[in-house]
Amino acid sequence: MQTVIDAHNVSKVYNADTIPVYAVNNVHLHLQKGEFTALVGPSGSGKTTLLNLIGGLDKPDSGNIIINGVDITTLSANELINFRLKNIGFVFQSFNLIPVLTAKENAEFILQLQKVHRKERIKRIEALFKQIGLSDKLNERPAKLSGGQQQRVAVARALASRPQFVLADEPTANLDSRSASNLLDIMARLNKEEGITFLFSTHDQRVIDRARRVITLVDGQISNDTAAVPVTHEAPVSTEKS
Amino acid sequence: MIIQMAWRNIWRNKMRSIAIALSVAIGLFAGLSVLALYKGMMKSRIRTVIDSETGHLQIHHPEFKKDYDPQYLLSDPQKWLSDILFFNTIKAVAVRTVTQAMLATPTGSAGVQVNGVDPETENKVSLLKDKIHWGNGFTGKKKNEALIGKKLADKMKLKPGSKLVLTFTDTASDLVSAAFRVAGIYQTENVPLDERNVYVNRNDLNELLNINGSFHEIAILLNRGEDLALAKRQLQERFPSFLVESWKEISPETELMVSTMDYYMYIIIGIIMLALAFGIINTMLMAILERTREIGMMVALGMNKLRLFLMVLLETVLLTITGTPPGLLAAWLATDYYNKKGIDISSFAGDTMSSFGFSSMIYPEFPRPELFTVMMIVVMTALLSCIFPAAKAGRLQPVEALRK
Repeated sequence: MQTVIDAHNVSKVYNADTIPVYAVNNVHLHLQKGEFTALVGPSGSGKTTLLNLIGGLDKPDSGNIIINGVDITTLSANELINFRLKNIGFVFQSFNLIPVLTAKENAEFILQLQKVHRKERIKRIEALFKQIGLSDKLNERPAKLSGGQQQRVAVARALASRPQFVLADEPTANLDSRSASNLLDIMARLNKEEGITFLFSTHDQRVIDRARRVITLVDGQISNDTAAVPVTHEAPVSTEKS
Repeated sequence: MIIQMAWRNIWRNKMRSIAIALSVAIGLFAGLSVLALYKGMMKSRIRTVIDSETGHLQIHHPEFKKDYDPQYLLSDPQKWLSDILFFNTIKAVAVRTVTQAMLATPTGSAGVQVNGVDPETENKVSLLKDKIHWGNGFTGKKKNEALIGKKLADKMKLKPGSKLVLTFTDTASDLVSAAFRVAGIYQTENVPLDERNVYVNRNDLNELLNINGSFHEIAILLNRGEDLALAKRQLQERFPSFLVESWKEISPETELMVSTMDYYMYIIIGIIMLALAFGIINTMLMAILERTREIGMMVALGMNKLRLFLMVLLETVLLTITGTPPGLLAAWLATDYYNKKGIDISSFAGDTMSSFGFSSMIYPEFPRPELFTVMMIVVMTALLSCIFPAAKAGRLQPVEALRK
């Protein structure tokens, strides 16, 4: 099985000069391709910080993070931007769509940054919007979409570039239960059918219930890690319709 | 897509963008209007110099202008006139006898330049007849008629019909005095010129100087001002042993004023644009501050600093360019209107203007040749204004920006 994320002795300390606070403390984490993993823990346990470190949005104070054989802690700021563009998909808690772009343009945005040809862009976007059930909302601006729809567009945007894995920071936190369930169905299906690796930080029991692996963080350290379940195991899919 | 995003971004806060676009429009309108006024003033000044003072070109004996010594003469005016009028760039020619003299009246005396003219040909070159506001001008019936400027008339308390005495040296360096009668009082837009120049009939002056049909100066008016260099070259080639000068050489202060005024105009536009730049910088900084989280997200997704810079640059340029057409249109309409109607500043600056040789009636002229430069200044303003906001955006760390 291919290792996608390999983090060794990763630490992130805030206020190092005064009263040090270990947001992430000596964490070891290995994620295989096709995993559907939830990172859980109480507020302030370091979930988002760890996700930011793995996503190359922040630099650890010590340790190494190797993604697909590349140690991202050694990359420069510009190299990191390029690495993120090619390898990592992000889904944020508050959707973070670009308000002046339509749903289609939001998803297309990342493909344009990757300089993907127009025909290929359109093909991918239409297929993705079909998968997320928003083919009729392609030309709507985010303000005209519900929270659940916006988060689905964010998922489409994250997947459009065909990343190595998707990092989702509390993706269901701002959604009602029906929208959250729909979103989880979509992500579980993409994980199952396309083998896309997902790593969530979450408080949401619904996400935890669907995850095949749950890593619990307490005070910046991994306190519990359920065994990784191979991708051939199906993630439970809700029967609820969108 | 970056252009599309930049354009849509500037309309996220409509009021703010409209306000800054209006500032650009007003700044541009003000800059172009100042430019148009200066151009109008300069054109009028050049017109005055050519029409009232020098003509487009003058020909003298090479030694004459050193001391205005009356012995340095040109002769055979008819031959000169026919030779000069041979060139199709030439519109009109007049010959003049010129001497420096002392004008005396019972109330005082003044140093003047006496210009002996042939009224008919002179009127074609310097439009002298049109500038006579008091008296009848040269009647041709009496001897020793003189035209004096309004300023000199006021100073010497002269009226049409008054007597004056002119004293000068003839070609043999003997002093000659003669009484003249004021036949008319002229007024040009150049007060110093009015105070210094007296016009008499060339035959009367030649008789006193004892130079028969000779003269000192040929004043030439061209059909088109643009032919100045060509006509000068043609005449100099035709009359190589004489001094051919253009108005720019005869009146270097006017040429200097015109060329330096160009720099002043750009400085004024630069100052207006500098003030505008601070408005643009403020607006763009606000726009970036409001979108910190969004920009952080874009960087997180993989938008590099160059693209981010380009986006901010495009937003700034588009915002600035939005205000450009209304500014241009307003400036063009206003200039076009006042170009026909004229702006009369005689009530508050007439004396000042005329003492510097400027008309108090200004006909602004839209600065077409300078338009490209002005547009470049506007674009440069936008480019310079975007550097600080773009650098600010480029310094945003995605993690911190996403927390906002």
